[in-house]
Amino acid sequence: MNAVIQTVLIGIAVGALYGLVALGFGLIMGVMKFVNIAHGSFIIVGGYIAYWLFTLLGIDPYLSIPAVMLVMFAMGLILYRLLFSPLLKYPRAEMRLDKSLLITFGVTWILDNTVTLLWTPDTRSVVTSYTGSTIDILGAKLGLTGLAGLILAVLVAVALHVILTRTYFGKHVRAATEDSGAASLSGVNVQGTYLMSCGIAAALAGVAGVVIVSSYSIAPSGGLDWLLTGMVVIVLAGEGNIAFILPAGLVLGLVQSISTLFVSPAYQQPIALIIFILVLMFKPKGLFASRG
Amino acid sequence: MPVNWKKLSLLGLILALLIVLPLVMDLGSNVMNVMVTLFIYIILSQSWNLIGGYTGQVNLGIVAFFGVSTMVTHFLWKAGVPIYLAITAGSLSSVVLAAVIGLPTLRLRGMYFAVGTLALAQAAQTIVGNIFTRTISMPGSFSKDYSLTPRYYLGLTLVVIAMLVVYAVARSKAGLAMVAIRDDEQAAQVTGVKVFKYKVIALLISAVLAGLAGGLYAYVRLSFWQISIVFSPAWTFDALMAVVIGGGGTLFGPVIGSIFLVVLSEIFANTLGQAHLIVFGFIFILVVLLLPQGLVGGADVVRPWVVRTRRSGQQATEA
Repeated sequence: MNAVIQTVLIGIAVGALYGLVALGFGLIMGVMKFVNIAHGSFIIVGGYIAYWLFTLLGIDPYLSIPAVMLVMFAMGLILYRLLFSPLLKYPRAEMRLDKSLLITFGVTWILDNTVTLLWTPDTRSVVTSYTGSTIDILGAKLGLTGLAGLILAVLVAVALHVILTRTYFGKHVRAATEDSGAASLSGVNVQGTYLMSCGIAAALAGVAGVVIVSSYSIAPSGGLDWLLTGMVVIVLAGEGNIAFILPAGLVLGLVQSISTLFVSPAYQQPIALIIFILVLMFKPKGLFASRG
Repeated sequence: MPVNWKKLSLLGLILALLIVLPLVMDLGSNVMNVMVTLFIYIILSQSWNLIGGYTGQVNLGIVAFFGVSTMVTHFLWKAGVPIYLAITAGSLSSVVLAAVIGLPTLRLRGMYFAVGTLALAQAAQTIVGNIFTRTISMPGSFSKDYSLTPRYYLGLTLVVIAMLVVYAVARSKAGLAMVAIRDDEQAAQVTGVKVFKYKVIALLISAVLAGLAGGLYAYVRLSFWQISIVFSPAWTFDALMAVVIGGGGTLFGPVIGSIFLVVLSEIFANTLGQAHLIVFGFIFILVVLLLPQGLVGGADVVRPWVVRTRRSGQQATEA
C-alpha cells in the first residue's frame, strides 16, 4: 500500500511538472496556431540561467525565478519580433504552421548548440542545502523540490487561468484564439496580443526550467524530450484547451509513474508516446472533450 | 518534355568524373570518407525530400527507418549474408516499419504528423537503447581488410538509384498527386486526389531510400559503441536541413544541401568547432524566411536580376 501511495505522490509531482512544461507550448499553439519546437530548448536555457545564477552568484533557484522569467520573456519577445511576425504574411494557417515548425526547429538548433558551447554537454543540476530532504505524506516521502515544483505549477497554472479569464488582456487573447480576423475587426490589437503571449510562453518555459534544474538535472540535448512530453500533454488536453493542460499533465504523470509498478522505468517515455499516438487516433480532441 | 542535352551531358560528365577519379588517383582516406558521408547524406535527404519536399508532410522520424535498416543490415551481414542482399533486406525492413508507423500517423494532419513521427522515432531509440546496451561490432576479420573503395562505389550506385527513383516518382502521376497534396490538401481532395493513398506511397518510397542510406551506413561503419546512436534525431535533422537549405521538392536541392552541409562542416569543424552548427542554424532560418525554394530556387531569384542588370548595362552603353 505504501508503495502505491509513494508512486501516486511521485506521479502527481512529475505530472504537475509536465503540465508546467506544456503550458507555454500550449499557449503559443492555442493563440497563434504556431508550433514552437524550440519550447524544450527554452526550458533548458531557463534552467541554465538558474544554474548560472546559483553557481556564480549563489542565488537560490526558487528566488531566481523572477529574473529567469524576465530574461525568458525578453527572449520570447525577440522570437516573435524576428521570426514569428514575418510568418503572419502567409495567408493559410497550414502554411504558417509548417513555416513556424521549420523556423523554430532552426532556433532549437541554434539554442542547443549555443548551450553546449557555453556549458558543455554534461548534465547539470542545482544542489542546495535542502535538495535531498523530504517530507512525509501519509507515510510516503515526497522531495521538498518535488513539492515546490508542484506548488509552482499549480500557482502558475492558476495565474495563467485568471489572466486569461479575468483580465482585459485575457479577453483579447481568447478573442484572437477563436478568430484572429474577427478580433482584429473589433479592435483587438492582435499583433500585440501575439507578442505578449509569446513572451509569457517563454517566461513559463523559464519557470519549468528552474523547477527541472533544481529537482532533476538538465543537459543541452534534453530539450527534445521535454518538448515531446509537452506535446503529449497538449494532445491529452486537447488543442487550445489551456485550462485542461495541468490536469492532463497530472494524468500523464500518474499513468507513467503507475506503469513503473509493472514495467521497467526505462520504458516510461515509450509508454507516454504510445499513449500519445493512441489518443491522437481515438480521441483527437483530447481526453476532456465532450462527446459529439 | 524535350530532353535537356546540356544538363544531361553535364550530369554524365560529373558522374564519369566521380567514377573515374578514385581509379586514376589516390584521393586519400580523408576525401574518400567525406565522399562516402556525402553519399549517405544525399540518399537520406532524398528520402526526406520525397515525403517532406514533394508531399509536404514534415516527417521528424525518418531516422527510425534509417536506424532499423542499419541494424538489420549489420546483423545480416554479420551472419554471412552478402552486403547487397543485406542492404536490400534492410530497406525492406524500413518499408515494413514505415507501413506500421505510417498507417496511423498519416491520418494525422499538419503538426501531428511531425510530432507523431518524432515521438515514434524517440520511442524506437529508447527501446533499442534499452535492449542493446553493449557495443555492437563486426568480427575483426572485417576490419582487417577494410577498404573505402567498395564503399565509395556502392554509395555512388545507391545515390544514382536514389536520384533515379526521385526523378521517376516526381514525373509520375503519383508525383503530381504529392505536389497537389503539399500545395493544398483540401483542394487536392476535392478534385479527386486520393490523399491518404498517395501519402502512404510517398512514405513507403521514402522509407526505401532511408533504408538504403541506413544499409550503406552499416556497410561503412563496422562497430557501434551504442547502437542507439543510429536512431539519434540528429540524422533526421541533418536530412531536413539539407533538403530545406538546398530546396525541397526539387531533384537537385537535397544534393546541393547535402554538399553544403557536409563540405562546410568539414571546413568549419576544425576552425569553429561547435560554433559551426550555430552558423548552420542561422543559415537554415534565413533560407526558410528568405528563400522558400532553397538555394536551388535562390538561383532563380538571382538570375533575372543578373540578366536585368546586364541588359540595363547594355542599354547604358548603347545610349
